Amino acid sequence: MGNKISIMIVDDELIVRESFLHWFEKLGHKVETAASGLEALEKLEKSFFDLLFVDIKMPKMSGIELLGKVKEEYPETIVIIITAYGSIDTAVNAMKMGASDYMLKPFKPEQLNLVMEKVAHQKRLMSEYEYMKGRLDRITHFDNIIGQSAVMKEIFELIPKVAQSDSSVLILGKTGTGKELIAKAIHSKSKQANRPFVAINCGAMPDTLLESELFGYQKGAFTGATHSRKGILEVVSGGTLFLDEVGEISPKMQVDLLRVLEEKKMTRLGDREPIDLDFRLISSTSRDLEREVSEGKFREDFYYRINVIMIHVSPLKERKEDIPLLVQHFLDKYSHETTKKVNHISRDALDLLKAYDWPGNVRELENAIERAVVLSKSRTLASEDFSFLHPSSIRPSGRRTLREIEKDHINFILNDCDWNVTKASVILGINRVTLHKMIKRYKLKRP
Amino acid sequence: MVIHSTKTTICVVPMGRVAEIVPKAIAANILGYLHINTDIVPSLEQPQYAFDESRIQYNAGEILKAFESMPFHNYEKVIGILDLDLFVPIFSYVFGEARQAGKYALVSLYRLQKNLDGSTPSMSLFLERAAKVALHELGHLFNLIHCEDENCLMHFSGGLQDLDNASFYFCRYCSIYVRDALSIDGTKGQNTRLEKDS
Repeated sequence: MGNKISIMIVDDELIVRESFLHWFEKLGHKVETAASGLEALEKLEKSFFDLLFVDIKMPKMSGIELLGKVKEEYPETIVIIITAYGSIDTAVNAMKMGASDYMLKPFKPEQLNLVMEKVAHQKRLMSEYEYMKGRLDRITHFDNIIGQSAVMKEIFELIPKVAQSDSSVLILGKTGTGKELIAKAIHSKSKQANRPFVAINCGAMPDTLLESELFGYQKGAFTGATHSRKGILEVVSGGTLFLDEVGEISPKMQVDLLRVLEEKKMTRLGDREPIDLDFRLISSTSRDLEREVSEGKFREDFYYRINVIMIHVSPLKERKEDIPLLVQHFLDKYSHETTKKVNHISRDALDLLKAYDWPGNVRELENAIERAVVLSKSRTLASEDFSFLHPSSIRPSGRRTLREIEKDHINFILNDCDWNVTKASVILGINRVTLHKMIKRYKLKRP
Repeated sequence: MVIHSTKTTICVVPMGRVAEIVPKAIAANILGYLHINTDIVPSLEQPQYAFDESRIQYNAGEILKAFESMPFHNYEKVIGILDLDLFVPIFSYVFGEARQAGKYALVSLYRLQKNLDGSTPSMSLFLERAAKVALHELGHLFNLIHCEDENCLMHFSGGLQDLDNASFYFCRYCSIYVRDALSIDGTKGQNTRLEKDS
């Protein structure tokens, strides 16, 4: 088995513990032993274990009781029940409670080897499951990036070339330009394509939360850490990590990540054991990081580490020739999803969409089409179906102050998003905290 | 009885009734592959103290413990050869047993002298199996762990088929570890022939 794993043997018989210990030492795994269920729980509180071998018959706390507690508090830990007195009932019961296997002592040497291979496979599946169930992100595959403009064609040509290398990629572009789609496309064309792609929005969470999400933590590392948890850096093993809005990362976090990228190792919060890491990094930002580096606001060494290959995605207003293609794509998508046969758009409506500046870029265009499709009573979208688009982006703003325009625009986007601050902040290209401050400053209220 | 040696060597010690040719073949292979001096010492008694009545087998752990109180002071590593069915508590049988980075190892001939179909292997195949197990266990004594390379002597062999399929060589990485271990241990192993000639 390629990756070395941490194992605990829980058995009241010393000779059995020693026997396992000597065997796993020969495989190079990290092994600890416990003579009782209580001792095992104490050790689990201090360190993370990938795998537990638990004897079913032990004084005070039985193996089944320990299995229940482990599955409740440390669901990521794989438990294999071992017993000298097997019965079908206990085996079924153990499996129902979450044991991964059930072995009768003594076993043939090759049986244990097979079990270890199964455990390695299960570990991989568990990582993928965690990520699929949405703790981190949904499973992704290369979704079509739509575009016929020269700049987009250039990006299409670049993606397969970039995918073949392991170098860090930095994608620059305004909010909603499709930076994450490009990251996913690179991942899906790379040799890590069958491994996880995990995206994390660095601007959407405070520093401490980001730290625990990335590095994971041991039980008791801080108040509220009631169980140990793997960090994204571990879960993404062998795959691609996408740091969205990397420009929002604090200087301290930049230092921590720089060390991880240089050493390919990390330690969980509250733990001392270094863990080997293996992932490809893709970052994105809507900020001018080069300027921030020259102003000393962003670490230069970290910037060059994440910026080996740079891809710039133009805002939609600079590639308006892509709009008809995108509109048709979203029309097809939402007419299919809503089962409404709204799959045409009038020339006037298309002209209106081309005249609009799209500050929220492709994401805003998609939202606009979705809204128009949902509300439309005709098979063809007309310009009236887009009356909700912010007028100041279509018409000149007159002799109003910048402050007035900003206030109106924020109010418009908030109403458009039904006062979903997170959604509105993404479209506006600012973080949630800033948006809350602006709502307070302009005394904006929900209608 | 004190077992003396003037040089730093490996000791091969038969235990109970063992065909004379087996320790000779093992010693020759250790010398041939690792270029380490190997002594064959007079046979010890069959380790009846390690017999487990419930399993009708011999406990390898008990024998290794007993080795520690025996006077093998002048040997770096000791390999016991037995024609007995060995076990460790978690396994139904073992071909050999050694403590990681320890001094003592055991090789059981019991399950090497029958093929899977019940037929008797040729003498050369039987001796090859015994030498492979001995070199594998010696690898553990030199702190080598199981290797993922299926062709390496340190690859885990769960059954006879695996053992027969394994080649007679350490892979490139394990060869480096053996060389390192030999130079650290001070065991003389000049010009060791570890890797397959290519």
